[in-house]
Amino acid sequence: MMRDEDVDALLRSRRYEDAFGLILDRYQERVFRLAFSILKEAGRAEEVTQDIFLKLWQALPIYDGRAALSTWLYTIARNRCFSTFRKESMRMTAPLEGPAEPCREETVSQHAEIKQLLERLPKVQREVITLFYFQDESIQDVAQMLDLPENTVKSHLHRARLALAEMMRN
Amino acid sequence: MDCQNAKEKLLESFESALSDDVKGQLENHLTTCPTCERFGELLNQIHAQLKEAITAPRLSPGFRAALQARIDRQPRGLWTHWLPDVAYLAGSGAAILCCVFLLPFPASSVLWIGALIATTGYSFQTLLLSSVEEV
Repeated sequence: MMRDEDVDALLRSRRYEDAFGLILDRYQERVFRLAFSILKEAGRAEEVTQDIFLKLWQALPIYDGRAALSTWLYTIARNRCFSTFRKESMRMTAPLEGPAEPCREETVSQHAEIKQLLERLPKVQREVITLFYFQDESIQDVAQMLDLPENTVKSHLHRARLALAEMMRN
Repeated sequence: MDCQNAKEKLLESFESALSDDVKGQLENHLTTCPTCERFGELLNQIHAQLKEAITAPRLSPGFRAALQARIDRQPRGLWTHWLPDVAYLAGSGAAILCCVFLLPFPASSVLWIGALIATTGYSFQTLLLSSVEEV
């Protein structure tokens, strides 16, 4: 299991390609999920993920280790995603997408219903709950990705569940 | 355990395992309170639906190759990070030398003052750069 310290050591010895390979192994899917949770379109999220790692590659020689690697990377990722989101806000009406899979009619309608309800949540709650399920229900991962304290993530999750429960009751 | 506590513990149970003690108290409460029991069932239903509906997307198999192709088309950028510093120091050095030859003051004084100004300027631009840098 790769640790951020391993990357730091490689960067100190200027082995940028090895360090970059390790970073990709560990973070490429996470960054993609973060981008997807913000942009909601797989193709665009993948393109932006490429941009983020390209920028990271160019910036590796000036990484000074003051911030944790994950914090640094997720900061680049969020900034890039939000600037893309702002530029292309007209494209943000697409619903949440997952990989295509055969579903029964009833399941499809349940998925559609819960996704519609998710769309009615405040943005931050929707992002937190989406990432929570993307990241195998890890509060720690979500907190790192969004640069929020773990308790804040929990509080957003509670509010989101309460709001969804209220909407389902009605 | 009252209803408010039960509600909080039910919400918490989706993020971290409850202790056996709390779990026991919650189960006792749920057997005596149909409202909280229904709330718990609703939360379970929501959790199950979210888990099914929100499936993590995966990058396409060609992601790494496409990224590598873009990287190959770009210069590393290491030199471009150094270039402003090198240009600044070379420019400062040249300016100080010109002043040494042109100004009617002792060369050592001009050198010291020039070096002081160049160093202050360099420190200021470094601070400014780090405060506005995006990454």
